Amino acid sequence: MDPELVESVFNLGVPAFLLALGYVAGSMAEKSHYKSIRLRELRLRRMPTTNLRRPPVHWRIEKVALVSGSTVISVDYFKRFLAQLRGFIGGRVRAYESLLDRARREAVLRMKEEAVKGGFDAVINVRLESSNIAAPLRNDRGTAGVEVLAFGTAVKLARA
Amino acid sequence: MILSNTEEVPGRAIREFYGVVTGSTVRSKHFGKDLLAGLKNLVGGELKGYTELLVEARKEAMERMIEQAKSLGANAVVNIRFATSSVAQGAAELFAYGTAVRVD
Amino acid sequence: MEPLENNVSPEHPLAELATLVLGIALIGLALLAVAALAVEGAVRWLPVELEQRIFGGVPEPGASAPALDALLQRLARHGPGEPSGLRVAILEADVPNAFALPGGQLLVTRALLEQAGSENELAFVLGHELGHVAGRDPLRALGRGLLVSLVLGALGAEGASVAASAAELGERSFSREQESAADRFALALVAREYGHVAGAADFLRRLPDAEEANAATQAASWLATHPRSHARVAELERLAESHAWSTHGELTPLPAGLRGE
Repeated sequence: MDPELVESVFNLGVPAFLLALGYVAGSMAEKSHYKSIRLRELRLRRMPTTNLRRPPVHWRIEKVALVSGSTVISVDYFKRFLAQLRGFIGGRVRAYESLLDRARREAVLRMKEEAVKGGFDAVINVRLESSNIAAPLRNDRGTAGVEVLAFGTAVKLARA
Repeated sequence: MILSNTEEVPGRAIREFYGVVTGSTVRSKHFGKDLLAGLKNLVGGELKGYTELLVEARKEAMERMIEQAKSLGANAVVNIRFATSSVAQGAAELFAYGTAVRVD
Repeated sequence: MEPLENNVSPEHPLAELATLVLGIALIGLALLAVAALAVEGAVRWLPVELEQRIFGGVPEPGASAPALDALLQRLARHGPGEPSGLRVAILEADVPNAFALPGGQLLVTRALLEQAGSENELAFVLGHELGHVAGRDPLRALGRGLLVSLVLGALGAEGASVAASAAELGERSFSREQESAADRFALALVAREYGHVAGAADFLRRLPDAEEANAATQAASWLATHPRSHARVAELERLAESHAWSTHGELTPLPAGLRGE
């Protein structure tokens, strides 16, 4: 084969393959994760949350504890590529929007699950923190993943 | 030790303030888990290795903060906050801080 | 009740990818077009004498041979421009090739001299490079290369690779145009110097033996900066016919100083 042609195919083909792989695997993982999230959100409706610092005045609280939930979700090749292209043109980076949405909802669910395990009734003063996990290998300036921590104070109400 | 991220412990009055207590730790994963993360960077999904790492780090940071509170004679830590930062390749610093108090 | 799921924009990621890639490719081509125009303007504005003065200070990159200089001067007199600023040097290399640098400096490799079968053949090669010089191609290539790298460097990041690929494809077709023009210029010079064009395309005819690897190479010619040698030879034959230049004639042997070793 014409060596230049082979080189061109190789230069375009490898990233294209990785992109396709990232897109397919990434969107499959995302879909199944969202399914799990929606299911658990339904089940955990009985654990209300608020980010108010004080509980409603009429609540009689007998026990409190700190509860937290966290997750680290990785970017895939496709998302990272899209984000870089966006970095050129500007605008909404939709790929990362879904990443953070998933991570946040997952973290809150895990926090609620911890509260349920401890036998609590509600979580107040919920706070969320996200941070960027730097890529471990290569000199990739991008993210390896995003970490979201959700924490709050779980309260157990006195049985009247 | 009572822990809360609210400014007061609901239903209890604060009798004494001991000041800010902190706990921090820097943790790193071993090389094997890093490789997995590299692979995950192609296909996406949760980095369970990192999640566990941060959960352990948070627990340790909190334990150190609680020890500090105990040493002061407190029985509760209120207004707890966290900070995570990625300090080096594959390593994360976890920082927890709050106000040590004595409640009824 | 869970709130509305509105924190993720609804566009399909593949549609977004297509839009972004297309947009950036277009920007890349636009940049190349602007760079080409800018360089054209600059090249036309810069007089040949000034170009020779700027680049003439570069030390001779190879050995010189009086016989080669003489041949160059003879050929150059048939073309436009002042032959006095032109120089040719021999590059010690194993691959037969010839180059034109900015400022009127030509280079010919030792291997090309060794393989040349006649003066006519060598004259065509020198004429081809003179064609580039007359067209200010070396300066143009330098200018465009600089401008494009500057702009891509400013854009930064791997996203620029998309723009760069688009720009590179555009660049390739432009170079092929230059090569054809240089071929035509060379054939005319040879016809004027010797009265016929026999032997001129011998160098090109020898190239296919080296390139012949696969039938697929013929299909890939559009990717190459140099049009496939078959196509070039065919075009030259057509050109000779249209100008009624004879392709038969006595070949002048290489001058004494350039033969063999």
